[in-house]
Amino acid sequence: MLELANVTVQFGGLSAVKDVSLRMGSDEMVGLVGPNGAGKTTLFNVISGLVKPIHGRVLFDGVDVMHEPDYKRARLGLGRTFQIPQPMHELTVRENLVVAQRFGAGRVDAARIDEILELLQLTEQAGRDAATGLALQELKRLEVAKALATEPKLLLLDEVLAGLETQGKRLFMEKLREVHARYRIGILIIEHDIETISSLCPRVVVLDFGQIIADGTPQQVFNDPAVIRSYTGVEHA
Amino acid sequence: MAELILQALYSGLLNGGVYALMAIGLALSFGTMRVINLAHGELVLLAAYMAYVVESRLDLSPLAAIPLAMAVACAGSALVYLLVARIRKNRELNSLMLSFAIGIIITNAVLLIWSGDIHSTGSVSLQEAVQLGSLYSMRSELYGFLASLVLVTLLWQWLAKSWYGRAVRAVSSQRDAAKLMGINPAKTELISFLVAGLLAGCAGVALYSSSVIQPSLGHALTVKAFIITVLAGVGSVPGVLAASVLLGITEALTVTLWSSAVQELAGMLLFLLVLFVLPNGLFGAARRRA
Repeated sequence: MLELANVTVQFGGLSAVKDVSLRMGSDEMVGLVGPNGAGKTTLFNVISGLVKPIHGRVLFDGVDVMHEPDYKRARLGLGRTFQIPQPMHELTVRENLVVAQRFGAGRVDAARIDEILELLQLTEQAGRDAATGLALQELKRLEVAKALATEPKLLLLDEVLAGLETQGKRLFMEKLREVHARYRIGILIIEHDIETISSLCPRVVVLDFGQIIADGTPQQVFNDPAVIRSYTGVEHA
Repeated sequence: MAELILQALYSGLLNGGVYALMAIGLALSFGTMRVINLAHGELVLLAAYMAYVVESRLDLSPLAAIPLAMAVACAGSALVYLLVARIRKNRELNSLMLSFAIGIIITNAVLLIWSGDIHSTGSVSLQEAVQLGSLYSMRSELYGFLASLVLVTLLWQWLAKSWYGRAVRAVSSQRDAAKLMGINPAKTELISFLVAGLLAGCAGVALYSSSVIQPSLGHALTVKAFIITVLAGVGSVPGVLAASVLLGITEALTVTLWSSAVQELAGMLLFLLVLFVLPNGLFGAARRRA
């Protein structure tokens, strides 16, 4: 469903992403990990169309989307969340979802909105102002709910679990599993916590200095000497 | 003295209505695109001259010029948008220079076409005094205020209920997130500039109907609209109305209790005072937390 071919992004003299190629199936759940500054969010920005690479191609559902603007990619089925939640000011939680559905999916389906609100435990908060009436964990769930409302085929989740305490993180992971199972959509998730990503994703891709250095099951990846070196800075014994 | 103060409050309230019509377009385009259209006052002025043309050449009421004034201000606003949208680098700063330059061009075009003379409506009906208890106003001032209330309410409803109104709010609050919800930002921004143009058209007719116009007025109108936008707190429609009325009343009280020579100064002092106490403006509290 998603194919990146030799994607390279340069910011001035700095190569943020170097020659990255990646394929992902339509119902896969893949973890994208790597140290700070590895290029994970930049790669998300390339896929969603916020950043243009200097080289390479992005194919989605077999279609080259390189020349499609960001908002059209969202309409094609690329859902995306941000590391720092970006709720719409002065819109209620429900309105955030309704607007996302109307413009992203091109239709309004109140039953589906209710379903998403219930799934992500936001039904009680539906009437609250999204920008001022929610706690961090609720804002994170709203990010996912907004992206789901666009009826995506692929969901890009940028550190949705960051900043949550252990219990909150565990509950959120359950929700993500439920989303994946119910809607049969692909999920590519950026996460720092190795334990979390190992239990959530059957496949993990590791980026370091803008390049993919490992791709496989969590066990294969986290025993890879190159990955250990990138995380610890020392050679594996 | 109490009667004078009451009259000043009433006049300030009515003036505030017209100020709101002027300022709300600027606030809308600024909120959506983060661009301060420094030619906005000149667009209001251009619309006012349309009312003058319709009255002086066609011998019609200035109110008959509303469609023409709206069309001209809309076209001008769309032109500003199309030029600003072409700026790729440092848009916030470069758009200031671009729109300021457009404002100068409009001012000079007005000067060339209609000369530097001062104009005001000759409509007896619009200038007629209307009494409300012990308070007096011109009929045009009352019309301007009522039109402002209706248009601001309609705008508020449009922003709250319509799809493109919601899209404008979404782009205004989180541009990147809005794009990834499938909202076309360019189309949304153009719509907000067109709506700003419509309101500027109405403001121009209201201005000509109740006051005097001259080519150099545009810049002062932009400054006033900008003060109101900041006083209100960016993105707040009721805030713009409240700030406009507050500014109108402050100016009217200053004229009554002190002198018309310091009327503009009073507005500036109010601006500084409010920003000192409430840095996010009168209605900017919600954004402060977010």
